[in-house]
Amino acid sequence: MIPRRTGNAICLALLLAAPAIAAADVELSATADAAEVALDGTLLLRVTAIYSSQGDTGELQLPAFADFDVVDQSRSEQVSFSFVNGAPSFRRTVLTSVTLTPKREGDLIIEPAKLEARAKVFQTEPIRVRVLPTGQTPRGGHATSSPPPSDRVPPDVDPFADVHPGQRDLLLRATVDNDRPYVGQQITYSLYLLARANVSSIEKLQVPRLDGFWSEDIEAPQQLVPEQRILDGVPYTAYLLRRRALFALRPGKATIEPADVQVLTGFGMLFSRGSSRRSSLPLHLDVQPLPPGKPPGFDSGNVGQWTLTAQADPLGVAVGQPVTFRMIATGRGNVRDLRLPALGAIPGVRTFDATTTDKESIERGQVNGTRTVEQLLVPERTGAVEIPSLTMEIFDPAQKQYRTLRTDPIAVHVVAAQVGQPVSTPLAQNLLGGGGVRPIRLRLGSVQRSAPPWAEPWFWPALGLPPFGLALGLGLAGLRRILQENPGTRRVRLARSAAAKRLRGARALLQRGESVAFYTEIARAVTVYLADKQGVAAAGLTRDELAAALSARGHPEETVRRLLRVLDDCDRARFAPGSSEAPAREAMLGRADQVLNELDRGNA
Amino acid sequence: MTLLLALLVAAAEPPGTQLFADANAAYLSGDMSRAVAAWEALVSEGVAATELETNLGAAYLRQGKRGLAALHFERALFLDPGDDDARADLIELRRGNVDRLEGEGEEGGTETVARLLRPLPGFTAAFALVALWAAGWALVGVRLLRGGPRWASAAAAACFAGAVLAALVTWGAAAGRRMAMQRAVVVAPSVSAREGPGEKSASHFEIHEGTTVRVEDEEPGFRRVKLANGLTGWVSASSLELVVPPGWAGRPVVAGSPRAARP
Repeated sequence: MIPRRTGNAICLALLLAAPAIAAADVELSATADAAEVALDGTLLLRVTAIYSSQGDTGELQLPAFADFDVVDQSRSEQVSFSFVNGAPSFRRTVLTSVTLTPKREGDLIIEPAKLEARAKVFQTEPIRVRVLPTGQTPRGGHATSSPPPSDRVPPDVDPFADVHPGQRDLLLRATVDNDRPYVGQQITYSLYLLARANVSSIEKLQVPRLDGFWSEDIEAPQQLVPEQRILDGVPYTAYLLRRRALFALRPGKATIEPADVQVLTGFGMLFSRGSSRRSSLPLHLDVQPLPPGKPPGFDSGNVGQWTLTAQADPLGVAVGQPVTFRMIATGRGNVRDLRLPALGAIPGVRTFDATTTDKESIERGQVNGTRTVEQLLVPERTGAVEIPSLTMEIFDPAQKQYRTLRTDPIAVHVVAAQVGQPVSTPLAQNLLGGGGVRPIRLRLGSVQRSAPPWAEPWFWPALGLPPFGLALGLGLAGLRRILQENPGTRRVRLARSAAAKRLRGARALLQRGESVAFYTEIARAVTVYLADKQGVAAAGLTRDELAAALSARGHPEETVRRLLRVLDDCDRARFAPGSSEAPAREAMLGRADQVLNELDRGNA
Repeated sequence: MTLLLALLVAAAEPPGTQLFADANAAYLSGDMSRAVAAWEALVSEGVAATELETNLGAAYLRQGKRGLAALHFERALFLDPGDDDARADLIELRRGNVDRLEGEGEEGGTETVARLLRPLPGFTAAFALVALWAAGWALVGVRLLRGGPRWASAAAAACFAGAVLAALVTWGAAAGRRMAMQRAVVVAPSVSAREGPGEKSASHFEIHEGTTVRVEDEEPGFRRVKLANGLTGWVSASSLELVVPPGWAGRPVVAGSPRAARP
């Protein structure tokens, strides 16, 4: 149960008792509830000053409002004091609300508001407002002089901007600072109780289960701290009940179920005591997947604003002595999901298993963390050992882009172990493994960077030339042999082919029907062959002399007889034309060819 | 006579030897910027040497410029495919590359054989091929035309066998060279690989400095590249450097080469 705090006195006492908690910053921001407004409409300008130190106070100078008339103006102040992770935290928020109506149409500017505090002048950005003609309906959208909501720290968001409590005395308000976060990006869930009645205490508070999120408490006040608010012209007291950081674990639609609170209202023990139960509305989120273009090696847990450093200690060591290597990732985000790069094998160094420690803290509503990976390295050879640069890919939701974090390489000088020096390994040896960039060359050579031989125009002709030359040589040798041949020898060699040619001529004559010429040509083919090949002049010999001459050359008797018959048949057909039939003439060609073949074979 | 000898020795030294020695000294003293500037000056003067490219690669690697380091190691291997230092340094560099290719390589059998044969001396093999081929045919001619001795036939067969071997090595060198002519290295820290040659085309993946790619096509301002595992995309031409620069191996010199604009 949270006891009611009856005034600011206790809070102030606590603040005075803890001067060391003063933070270091003053923040000033300004927002308008619309970017467009009709000439006959109004817009609400909120100027928020946040002091993180109890002693801070400042003088706010509102803009001159050259293009606007001031319709209404109010001021509220909220002071919160809490212990976060055991550390006290102070925060005073002064909200100045100014209702404005434009003097003219067009693009107008609300000038910057200024705040003098801590001997400094803080200033908001000018806010542009488009003023439409009278009666036109402006489009929705907020004008702001600060970064977009998704990039702001949660307290800068007015959680009551769209609250219209109507006639209700008690209202439980749940809100998130960004309903379209990326996977792994922090959003802040706040739960407020708005009351017009007196609140004695909170009997029971049921915060919803936050399935699909990793959550961390930012503020869980043990006392009710009132903050005055004007909602739709009605003064309300707002009490912060809980503030949690949420990190969505997967993309898609997500719902945060309603929270429930049991409130005891009324004064003291007897007057108007009553118990009321209130529920908040469910919150619907659209969790965005990480944008495309993930670099290789990117781990989906590496979301946030991180820095990566590496260090080794000591930087000079004897061989076999340990070196502690530390890699530290620190920044804003969910440190538990962070995955740091692994140190690979280093030539000449024995590496031991790494140990990981995490630290978390809450600063200005943001979950911060530090992950430290410690690894023991034992150099096994003398000389310079370089611990290489390590890289880690992260997604920065504030910048909406991927970034590569890189550590610097670290040089460790390893010297030989002295005799008797204790070492962490049984044998401190100078182990010489492979790897590493080789030393540079000191002498400059020269190489041909011209086209290679096979790309030169002479290469392929040079390959073709030898076989071509040999073929040419063989051809020329054959030609020379032909040219040097005796005419008689040549005639003997060509006798058979000449006779075959004449027989082909005779066939042509036969086809033309020139019978006499046909037989004449056959007889000529035979007699010329006998003269050229056999050296027998048939024209001057009787048949018996011819037969004797051929028999003397060793030709078979049957062949000679068939030859004489061919010659006799030819003579008979030449001198008694019409006596032979066409088939007989055709057969004559075959007989002449056969007898010439037999003579040629016999001669061979 | 001494002067003459000195002049002869000086004339025998490759051009830029002094500048090379100065750059080496700067490197050894840890002044990487000066060393790189001097070695780059030699490159711009047209000096091409394996040692120069290897040293430049080592200096860029020390500066953390993995893309340029990989480029110069690749160039050293192009000039001398058998250079052990450049090969070892390139393997060392690739161990630390951001990009890790997954899946089977798309290298065909021909490319594998060519890659294995590439370190062999291709230029020497090409000259040996011509000589052995000519000698083989000459011996065949002697045997056929002159009826030469029997050993001529055996010698011709040996020459032809040697020519086949030399042809294989030459082919490997030629294929490796052809592959190198298409090769390029990513020198930008990272570059988006897109579906088409335009900034508005969708990007499905990024490649990072030091990754070697094969250039398959070119459009103004963009190059179509293929990774060893077959992943293909269009990337900005200025993010790549060709392993074989203009002016080398018969590649035409193009005015306004991105190399000229490189810091």
